[in-house]
Amino acid sequence: MPVASTSYRFIGKRTPRKDAEAKVTGTLKYTNDLEVPGMLVGKIVRSPYAFADIRRIDVSEAVKMGAIVITPDDVPQRPFNPRLVSIEEVTYKDTYVLTYKPRYLGEPIAAVAAPSEELAQRAAEAIRVEFEKVHEPILDPLEAMKPGAPKIHEKIMKGGKWIDVENNIAARLDYEEGDVERGFAEADLLLERAFKTGKRYHMQLEPKAVLCVPEPGGKLTIYTTTQTIHNTRILVSQLFDIPASRINVVKVPIGGSFGSSIQTNYLVPIAVALCLKARKPIKIAYTREEDMLDHSNFVFHFKIKIGTKNDGTFTGAEFVNVLDVGAHQVQPYPLLGTSLGWFVSMYKWKNIRYRGIAVYTNKVPGCALRGYGAPEVQWAVETMVDEIAEKLGLDPIDIRLKNYVGRGDIFWGQGPTVRSVIKSDGVPELLLRGKELIGWNKRVHPDEKKGRFRRGIGVARGFHTSSAGGPISGEVIDYTGCILKLNEDGTLDYITALQDHGGGTLDAHVKIIAEELGVPPDLINLATATTENTLYDVCTHASRGTYAGGECARRAAQILKQKIFEVAVRILERVVNPDALKIRYDDELREAVVYVEGTNIKIPLREVAKTAWQRNWGTLVAAVTYRATSAPPSFTVYFVEVEVDTWTGKVRPIKVVAGADVGTPINPDMVEGQLHGGFAMAWGMAFSENTQYDPVTGEIMGRMLITDYKIPTAGDVVSPEDFIVLLASTYEPAGPFGAKGLGEAAMNPAVGAILNAVYNAIGIRFYELPVTPDKVIAALREKGGLEW
Amino acid sequence: MYRLPEYEYYKALSVEDAVKFLAERRDVKVLAGGTDLVLDMKTGRYRPKYVVDISGISSLKYIRDTGESLHVGALTTIQELLDSSIVAEKTPLLRLVAREFAYWQIRNMATIGGNLCNASPAADTAPPLLVYEAVVKAVSIRGERFIPITDFFLGPRQIALAPDELLVEVIVPYRKLGKAGFAYTKIGRRRGHDMSVVAVAVALKLEDGVISDVRIALNSVAPKPVRAYTVERALVGKKPTLEVFEEASKLVVKDISPITDVRAPAEYRLYLSKLLVRELLLEATKGAYRGGFE
Amino acid sequence: MIVKFKLDGKLVQVDVDPREVLLNTLRLKLRVKSVKRGCERGECGSCTVLVNGNPVLSCMVLTVQADGKEVITVEGLQGDSLFKTLVKNFAESGAVQCGFCTPGILLTAWAGIVQGRIKDVEDVKEQVANLCRCTGYVKIVEAVRKTLLEVNAGGQY
Repeated sequence: MPVASTSYRFIGKRTPRKDAEAKVTGTLKYTNDLEVPGMLVGKIVRSPYAFADIRRIDVSEAVKMGAIVITPDDVPQRPFNPRLVSIEEVTYKDTYVLTYKPRYLGEPIAAVAAPSEELAQRAAEAIRVEFEKVHEPILDPLEAMKPGAPKIHEKIMKGGKWIDVENNIAARLDYEEGDVERGFAEADLLLERAFKTGKRYHMQLEPKAVLCVPEPGGKLTIYTTTQTIHNTRILVSQLFDIPASRINVVKVPIGGSFGSSIQTNYLVPIAVALCLKARKPIKIAYTREEDMLDHSNFVFHFKIKIGTKNDGTFTGAEFVNVLDVGAHQVQPYPLLGTSLGWFVSMYKWKNIRYRGIAVYTNKVPGCALRGYGAPEVQWAVETMVDEIAEKLGLDPIDIRLKNYVGRGDIFWGQGPTVRSVIKSDGVPELLLRGKELIGWNKRVHPDEKKGRFRRGIGVARGFHTSSAGGPISGEVIDYTGCILKLNEDGTLDYITALQDHGGGTLDAHVKIIAEELGVPPDLINLATATTENTLYDVCTHASRGTYAGGECARRAAQILKQKIFEVAVRILERVVNPDALKIRYDDELREAVVYVEGTNIKIPLREVAKTAWQRNWGTLVAAVTYRATSAPPSFTVYFVEVEVDTWTGKVRPIKVVAGADVGTPINPDMVEGQLHGGFAMAWGMAFSENTQYDPVTGEIMGRMLITDYKIPTAGDVVSPEDFIVLLASTYEPAGPFGAKGLGEAAMNPAVGAILNAVYNAIGIRFYELPVTPDKVIAALREKGGLEW
Repeated sequence: MYRLPEYEYYKALSVEDAVKFLAERRDVKVLAGGTDLVLDMKTGRYRPKYVVDISGISSLKYIRDTGESLHVGALTTIQELLDSSIVAEKTPLLRLVAREFAYWQIRNMATIGGNLCNASPAADTAPPLLVYEAVVKAVSIRGERFIPITDFFLGPRQIALAPDELLVEVIVPYRKLGKAGFAYTKIGRRRGHDMSVVAVAVALKLEDGVISDVRIALNSVAPKPVRAYTVERALVGKKPTLEVFEEASKLVVKDISPITDVRAPAEYRLYLSKLLVRELLLEATKGAYRGGFE
Repeated sequence: MIVKFKLDGKLVQVDVDPREVLLNTLRLKLRVKSVKRGCERGECGSCTVLVNGNPVLSCMVLTVQADGKEVITVEGLQGDSLFKTLVKNFAESGAVQCGFCTPGILLTAWAGIVQGRIKDVEDVKEQVANLCRCTGYVKIVEAVRKTLLEVNAGGQY
């Protein structure tokens, strides 16, 4: 039962974000903008080889220069995993703060600190490393798995126990449901395809940084680019045996993340180690190249087989997923689970068999990149569904509507241990309205297209979960908490550890609180947040900010409301029962008032607050810890029109219709912004983004300069009038005021839509990303469609 | 990959000052706009002992039309070339190139002299200047010298300047070419803001219905920017038809040697070179028929 | 070496090594943190400042080359009425997400409008090539377009 957003006072209204002013005036300080007196600058010494064993590190020159120096001997000897979202039992640890056994080119092996970046750089250059052995890097996971292949890791820890690594396999996950062979036997059409992606890099505009400050009394304060201040604190505490109560991680604005700081970035424990040795504040800020060495995405290799009946019903699906992990595990095991979850939750396959293998290679460690496998899985599935529809002569939209997992179905997007029932579903509305807007019925078969420039229209649908919550506790930690405090003048302080990486989630929380309490958003303060003044929040990821964080804020507002009423009763003589009271934003007085319906009894909240203060009745506050019991999918649908230049192989976008089912849109501007940004990111994924590795050295080609890592510019995307956003009118009962998340759903199906459009233009499907212009030309040549 | 190398810095106040400095020292790099040199020093490609900064020599910033030719001071920025009505009118190829050159911030800094002397195989200003058969003026304490641009590039980042010479002017003799049709295209990996995968510039003149003069230049397909002389020779005296262009453009393989690098495979560059040469010849022909540009 | 230049309207004097880059002088010596360090390789545009009115990349300028010039960052445009309009439209249109690219984009857009190079949507896409990873550019283009409408409708600058 959708509630029209016009009946809300604050929800659904377009308002400038609270931090807009600080951002546009350039006064907002990001981690690398922070300075403290006496600060030293740290520099990391990195391995020049992708797979090597070090005999000795000679730091004497650097020490003579007066630098603080640390080597693997100066840091904790225990392995760790920088990401603490999975429970310990399934956390794999193979990383060391500094190592004598680098397993990717660029891996940190030592670090220095000096009064300036220049001096630190010189000291870093003065460190001499002697290698015992240099091995040939292994860059292909299939090669890495072959018997006899050199072992990248011998022993790692899982759940606190040492385990042997066989065939460079980092983790596995297999799953079966139903009888896939029978399902295939029942099928009229069996389609099998293999897919491969590039290794994308997040290219968040702010390179990672950390400032670690030793406080008097032995405490440590850490400022860093993170999506989770609490997990950073816990990790540092565990690694260095420092009680959490002596570590304070401060939430600092972050310049984009897209998953790259779900894990604590490698420079944090290095800075802590330097800080403990130097007893001085340490700042480390990556160069752009170092940032590219800190994290990038996984490489996905898929083999998918789908069985379909002539009427378009799916009968079974088999999915083999080989993940190229890179040199260390950040989160391949849960990714094996989510890949399966995304796959299973796309369509009702009826019978399913999955084999997931995560394999080590000598590359930069892979970590989540917006969607955590969903863009890749949804690209593959939507490509195949398109192909199946064509082969069976069925309408591509009908086959999707027929089979998709939607309202009333069981959904387990985040993996087998996180299941719930779907309660809100805007897919049919989005597909049918979007169809009209893009001119779907005017599509022409690619074979009938001629000439140099050929246009095509494609569709794809997808989703992402809102959080990783669920009715029972599983392998994923997902809960949040917040404090909402009524100040003595009737304004509010809202304190949460949730991080806004740019999407505006905290502004959504503020609107939610405003709607519950009638206090206008500009009187609700987004408080400075640190680990010592906030409740635990696992991480701002999995599109959970608005859905889980916002709902937590709403519950806190409700509890606070109750307390306000109980206090107001003491002031309003004739009111005997707090249940008789309500609160609203009074348009005349222009503030929040507590009132009794049907009477003219009302009192400004401001007065209630002041009275409570003056009469010693205590602070009115709500502290709520909240775990969502479901992770409802936000559905998105993309219709894209592209134009392929069959002479150069270049593609450009012509028109985009992006449909989103976010339940109630709290910040419509920000919903649109996510779709625009998601589309641009998908465009880069489809056509240009890849970090390529030199097969001999294992170095990222192009010297890691972003000169050769191309993300789209304004000139590569459509003009505003050609990007249409559709919002479904749905309402998610488990979400705050009916809201669901969007951050990742905004991108997930876009690549599929873009490449389905390319197919409609030139009649060629691509199974390997990125589809660079030379690949388009090579494919056209092979097909014989090249004019020249 | 962060800090600049140790170098001694000298700010030249005039051309005489600069060339005197160059004569007295070895291992000097000249700083103009900085978009190439500063990057190359940061990444360790160059670690010069001296850097002589000529960016303050305002006498090297000008665009002059003598009637016979265009004279461009070496410190003229790419943006200034793009904004110049003289360039637009007299040397349209140069304007087309400036328009595709990186992006606005870079164009405000990068100079034509710097682009030439950096001599990247992908040097953007090279193809039009090769087509125009421009001449560069080099100055040293020994006097001045004029070097045809066709002799200027010796290899990747190698130029025909002596270590004590300073490039001060680029001269584009448009009267040599006369009324011709022009065309240019640059293929990068995204719209604007990119190094070229291939770029081609063409000029073509017709007389009595046949091609009397044709010049084709490419970058990013050989160790240095090149003229496609084989293709040109095959075209002179022929009629400007699609068939002729198609046959001739295939010969470009003799004039180039593209490599596979992180930006594109060699086959794609070769394919694009043939395609673009053909297409630009057609486009230039249209211009030639319309009366051509002076 | 002593370098003197005008920064955001005020004359400043700094003693720099000739190897010092303007980006670092601004951020570390002069504490202008609105100029961001995004790549230091001339690719992302986050370090954009205006030198004598033209947007350039401060990561590629040696501070010694700034001698005698006028440098403007967003901090210097706070009082400018066109800038105020631009900033208002950015804040209200949702053109700001993480904010890291924002100062560079604002300076480039502002200079583009002032120089008459940005007159419509196509111009914005042409002139503003700064990288943004969050917004997908659509709302940035919108915000500049709105500003142009307001300016043409008589808003003076």
